[in-house]
Amino acid sequence: MIAAPLLLLLAAATAAVGTLGGLGGAVILVPALVVFGVEPSLAAPLGLLSVAAGALAAAPAQLRLGQVHHRLGVTLEIAASAGAVVAAIASDRVGADALRLVLAGTAALGAVAGFARKGVRNLPQAAFAGEIAGEWPGTLGGAYLGPGGVVPYRARRLVPGLGAMVVAGVVAGLSGVGGGFIKTPAMSEIMHVPVKVAAATSTFTVSITSATALLVFAGQGRIEMRDGAVVVLGGLLGGVVGARLQEVLPPSTVRRALAMVLAVVAVVLVVGR
Amino acid sequence: MTGPGPPPNPLSDRQRWLVLSLRAAMVLTIACAGAALVVPGRAGDAAAVGMIVVLVATPIARVAWLAIRWFRRGDLRFGFVALALLSVVGAGALLAL
Repeated sequence: MIAAPLLLLLAAATAAVGTLGGLGGAVILVPALVVFGVEPSLAAPLGLLSVAAGALAAAPAQLRLGQVHHRLGVTLEIAASAGAVVAAIASDRVGADALRLVLAGTAALGAVAGFARKGVRNLPQAAFAGEIAGEWPGTLGGAYLGPGGVVPYRARRLVPGLGAMVVAGVVAGLSGVGGGFIKTPAMSEIMHVPVKVAAATSTFTVSITSATALLVFAGQGRIEMRDGAVVVLGGLLGGVVGARLQEVLPPSTVRRALAMVLAVVAVVLVVGR
Repeated sequence: MTGPGPPPNPLSDRQRWLVLSLRAAMVLTIACAGAALVVPGRAGDAAAVGMIVVLVATPIARVAWLAIRWFRRGDLRFGFVALALLSVVGAGALLAL
């Protein structure tokens, strides 16, 4: 068992980082819980509770800032959920070590992509100065309020993006994490969605993934209720903090922070074997 | 008279109900989680179950709300996309259970 204050602290910290980068946070919290002696079969549901709580807490601030692109999130989540369902059914045929290496490789790839890119793709445009931050109806484009003004954007390369979401869903279905650590870099680096919008949209989509998975875990009786309540309180706190950090930090800092967290995740997954 | 500055934003209230609902769900989750920790016995267990129900139902309800909203506003393509997502999530939950 793990002490409640430590559990609260871990959940809050991972949810804050997860919300800031749109990672969800289960990919950090679950290995951490296992390190502290929690059974892996119990750690996965706790990780998802933290993700669901963090996403719920972050949503009002992200909506107020017009950073969540619901149409993009819903479109991509179909591919991710379909991948997750197929993978969950086949999950008993994949070895734990192979899965851990796939997760580590994917996280490392996202980290390299985040570190490698210099500069900001989507820049403020004076012509859009009066534009309202948010998604544009009927499209996968929109505008958000960046540091220098209103930044218009449009999601590109939808088909490769959907492919990446299938991969994210498969990884989520196999491992019990939300897959946000693949979704955010894929949206940002493949589809050229601004990193803050990608992170907020990914936070919305991982809440759907975690809700589906929690339904399954609850049916299997794998949720430890008292620990779950502590994790949820920590996740809510972390979600508020993460959304606030996302609001004040510049996009380049968010991207670098995301890349750094992904690098740490990759190392933890490899070293923790 | 209004002072200088940007004109009133006609869409500023467009997601007011969604934001309010999410805030209400958050408060309910905090109350249930707190009760699950403090209240002993079956009442505490019931509060924990309530907490999980809120966390699971909120994102699903959000997608359903989006689907209805998009259909009402004539954004049929994304309305059907949201319905398809709800179907995939429902089928996945049924298969897994």
